[in-house]
Amino acid sequence: MEWKNRGDENTELDGWFRAYREACPAPEPSANFMPEIWQRIEERQRSVFYLGRWARTFATAAAVLSLAMAAYLYIPHERNSILYVESYVEALAAGHAVDSPDFEPSMDEL
Amino acid sequence: MLVDFELIKRAQTGESAAFNEVVLAYRKRTLGTIARLISRPEDVEDVAQEVFLRLYFSLDQLRTAEVFEPWLYRLTVNAAYDYLRKHRRRMESRMSDLSEQQVMLADAQAGGRVDHDARQQRQVRETVDAMLSAVSEADRILLTLKEVEGLSLKELEKIYRVNENALKVRLFRARQRVLKALGDGSKEARGKGTARAEV
Repeated sequence: MEWKNRGDENTELDGWFRAYREACPAPEPSANFMPEIWQRIEERQRSVFYLGRWARTFATAAAVLSLAMAAYLYIPHERNSILYVESYVEALAAGHAVDSPDFEPSMDEL
Repeated sequence: MLVDFELIKRAQTGESAAFNEVVLAYRKRTLGTIARLISRPEDVEDVAQEVFLRLYFSLDQLRTAEVFEPWLYRLTVNAAYDYLRKHRRRMESRMSDLSEQQVMLADAQAGGRVDHDARQQRQVRETVDAMLSAVSEADRILLTLKEVEGLSLKELEKIYRVNENALKVRLFRARQRVLKALGDGSKEARGKGTARAEV
């Protein structure tokens, strides 16, 4: 009984699908169908072109900046220049010269 | 094949006239498939144009002209899927906004304007759309391609790049869900009929 019902339902469903195909015929394309496609293609190509140009400009600017930074780092700078930042080790060495040790024995100890 | 392989190869090289010919040959079929997949006549042309736009920009990725038709179907399926996913929420809210009385009133008004056949076709579209809304967008598309478009499992295999058994299982499950929706709809209709008779 269950199988029979399921079979009937399947047949009914197939009938609905067939009717649906007939109820949804292919619409006729409008007169603007082709011109609109080409318009969309051109718009997409234009945006791709501008994106490409922007990307090339960005890459060139990045390359120029990298070269400038490399050149700046390569050129030696004087220590008293305002752009020179001494490292921690250098600052420590300057503050603790060998001829002025931190520890000085007191007179009692001597 | 609606066009010869040579034409597709020429379109692949970027020849505009060849691409135009390809579109002219396939546009009617594509419009029909989309009309059945999305069931919104006002948006069919827009989705079809999106399909051909995608075709234009991906034609160079097509390895052999022999697989052009499954390739075009795949683009159609993807565009329809994107459309359905984007519009699902809008469609749901539009349906829920209408009360039963409003729907009946709209039906009665529409009935006065359109002839009997057109009304019947509209009913068929609405009924099948309601049944297909019981499954996901992906299953709706698969079922429509198989049951309404009449594509074979072999053709579906080429479109989906999935083996036949996986497709069979998916189709079976989708069909079961649609059958359940059909059964529930019939029960509901019978229930409403009884309630109205009692009133």
